Amino acid sequence: MKTGSLLDPASAQAVGFSWLRDALAPAGPYGEAQFAGIEPFAPGQEAQARDRAARVARIAAALDVAQLDAAREIARHVPDAGAAVARASMGDALDDANLLELQRFFDACERLDALTAACDDLPRTAGEPVRECARALERGRAGRFGFYLNDAFDASLATARGALAHTQAEYDAARGRASAAVAAALDREISLPEFIVMRADLAGSLPSGVRVVREAPTYLLCELDADEGVLAALRRRDEAAAAVAHAEERVREHLASTIRSRAAALEDGMRSFGECDVLIGAARFTRTYRCSVASIQAQAGLAFEGARFVPLANELEAQGRAFTPIGLRLDGVAVLTGPNMGGKSAALRTCGFIALCAAFGVPVPAQRAQTALFAEIAWLGIGSDREERDGSLLSSFAREVVRLRDLLGGAASPRLVLLDEFARTTTPREGKALLVAVIERLREMRACGLAATHLGGVAEAAGTRHYAVRGLRGIPQAPAADDLTQALETLAASMDYTLEEVSGERPQGADAIALAALLGIDARVIEAAYRAMESE
Amino acid sequence: MRVHVGDSILQLWNESGATSLFVVGTGKNVGKTVALRAIYGACVRGGVPCGLTSIGRDGEAFDVADTAAKPRLWLEPPSIIATAREVLPRSPASELLAFTAHRTAAGALVYARIRSGAYYELVGPPSASGVRAVVDDLLQFVPRVLVDGAIDRVAALAGGHDAIVVSCGAAAAPAQGEAIDDVRALVVRLRTPRFDGKTESLQIEGALTPAIAAQLIRERERRAIVVRDPTQILLTGKAALHAFDRLGIYCERPLNVIAVTIASAGRDRTFEPREFARAVATATAVPTFDVYAAERAA
Repeated sequence: MKTGSLLDPASAQAVGFSWLRDALAPAGPYGEAQFAGIEPFAPGQEAQARDRAARVARIAAALDVAQLDAAREIARHVPDAGAAVARASMGDALDDANLLELQRFFDACERLDALTAACDDLPRTAGEPVRECARALERGRAGRFGFYLNDAFDASLATARGALAHTQAEYDAARGRASAAVAAALDREISLPEFIVMRADLAGSLPSGVRVVREAPTYLLCELDADEGVLAALRRRDEAAAAVAHAEERVREHLASTIRSRAAALEDGMRSFGECDVLIGAARFTRTYRCSVASIQAQAGLAFEGARFVPLANELEAQGRAFTPIGLRLDGVAVLTGPNMGGKSAALRTCGFIALCAAFGVPVPAQRAQTALFAEIAWLGIGSDREERDGSLLSSFAREVVRLRDLLGGAASPRLVLLDEFARTTTPREGKALLVAVIERLREMRACGLAATHLGGVAEAAGTRHYAVRGLRGIPQAPAADDLTQALETLAASMDYTLEEVSGERPQGADAIALAALLGIDARVIEAAYRAMESE
Repeated sequence: MRVHVGDSILQLWNESGATSLFVVGTGKNVGKTVALRAIYGACVRGGVPCGLTSIGRDGEAFDVADTAAKPRLWLEPPSIIATAREVLPRSPASELLAFTAHRTAAGALVYARIRSGAYYELVGPPSASGVRAVVDDLLQFVPRVLVDGAIDRVAALAGGHDAIVVSCGAAAAPAQGEAIDDVRALVVRLRTPRFDGKTESLQIEGALTPAIAAQLIRERERRAIVVRDPTQILLTGKAALHAFDRLGIYCERPLNVIAVTIASAGRDRTFEPREFARAVATATAVPTFDVYAAERAA
């Protein structure tokens, strides 16, 4: 799954692209091959994106979680038989591992088709050519999962193998007789090709049938010397082994030609298998995160209700907390305000994530959603300044400005722009002026966006829709002990993360001071801060 | 004493209660594969179905490093091998049982049942954890597993309950005294006694390296030095003997060395077989066999 031109690396990181890619990833090699090439739908492909998401949703509805997981298990364990088909189609001989790969693939097709039979939205993987090839290999089935070039493939195999077993027994007997004679003469076992005879133990010369390969002061390293009878038996054994090799190769050739004649259909079957795996991965995501099919519109805009940024929702769930679903409507650029730790950044990421899912033709984690297919989703502000870690000499403000320059210089349309506290690091007066100007420029560019800020009066000055996080329900009590985890839990319990559209400017609260108190700042500092607020 | 070496080691293996047996060596060309073949032969004669694999690559006709001729492995039905798919002979065909996720330099590792007697090459997993996993897998198919070890690659022994055969020989040391020191050091290391917990101890997290051992000796450490298992002791030769002499080294999970085999004929030198075998038996206090001479050291 590629970002294409939809996201730059910083924006991809901010809106959870890698997380989504991992969550949608197919289980097996055929799916992976297709998944690697998936790109987002572009503006103009609204119908295709909608159709794909609807198809994924139907698959999620038709198959329960156990069926989806069982299908993924099948895909996970199927070997990639693509190389075997390619070799056969080019006239190359197959080896037995190739034949086992093919047999496993055919088995997997049959099981996957049986499991998903009730779902018309998934392609069938085992067409007649696949079944014909499966039947051709069936005689090689050994046990439940193994493969062996069984005698049943060709009568000549049994004959050749019988002859080999016979000549091997003759050779073993001849060699055994020679070995036994030497062992008796030396009064010891001879079980290895090379053996030591101690000179001290040797009364007279070595018995016949023994060849010295190395002499040492106290011993002789010897080998059995094959006599005419042993050599003749060995010659017959080698001829029989060659006949077996020839018969086995003929069977492999025959099987390879069966595969070769149906190579195109088998490749189609593999593509279908991969498509199933990819769609089932998306369906599993849809079920897991209770997703719905977004309405995809041609004009720039984004609206949703009950939406979640699932990477964060997952983390919160692991901590026993819940993500508060949010709703908003963007038909241009809107402003979002709210207290620190009130979920402004999460709201921005939710916008990006919903648009991202829709762009890949996947149902979105929201009760209802309507979105355009954006040509670009751009993130600016907190979380996009990756260069900071790379030792850049630019200040954080300068980095933002450079990013803004690139953003405004781009030609992608429509565009979703997510500004997270842009210009927060310069003076509030200039920061506000810059932000208002940027919003106006984005509006001229017909971009869709959301600008989260602590600066007051931006929405009014820019004449935009204004959303606000409801914020603290009251002044939370700081935990008795210096316990950050408990303080965060208290904050979460006191915070109303719901977004609401507001008109005009909201009166400036003192949520930041309350938060500082909750996180354990000295009470004298907090009191002084409140006094300073009151004196303004 | 004249014995059937394979049968004798198989009997020791039976008595150990272990289901897997590793043959490890003090160096190259010290008769590991010859010892393995003798034990395997005893299994075949005794009707004990065996699985076989190697740590790395073994069983080739020629040593890939020095092109010296190596003993080949003639395997019989119904043995099961874990080896790389690229080294499986095309003929006679084997029964392929399963692919594994392990990769080797010669392709994916597969499990195959021998259907006709032939020479086979074993290319096992390159990692210690891979070898352990493969041994466990093979034991699903057969009651016994033989592992042809690489040179002193004992890491794969960690976490198992294997019988171990140590091979030593003239090829791996310039003189008999050094060959004996090397095998004694390896055996002493592998037979590190279990810590009984009754005395004050110093637990070593990770490996007991030569540097750590030297420091402990300098500090005249009197506490019991305890490592997880003998594979965590990274000391060989004289350094190992010195450390075991000066320190009380113990482990939590001891290993089980059941026999030593000797190969008195190296490419560049030979040792007197009986004298070498006797000296090794005395130095290691482990049953010692000369596979070539079909003798057990008195």
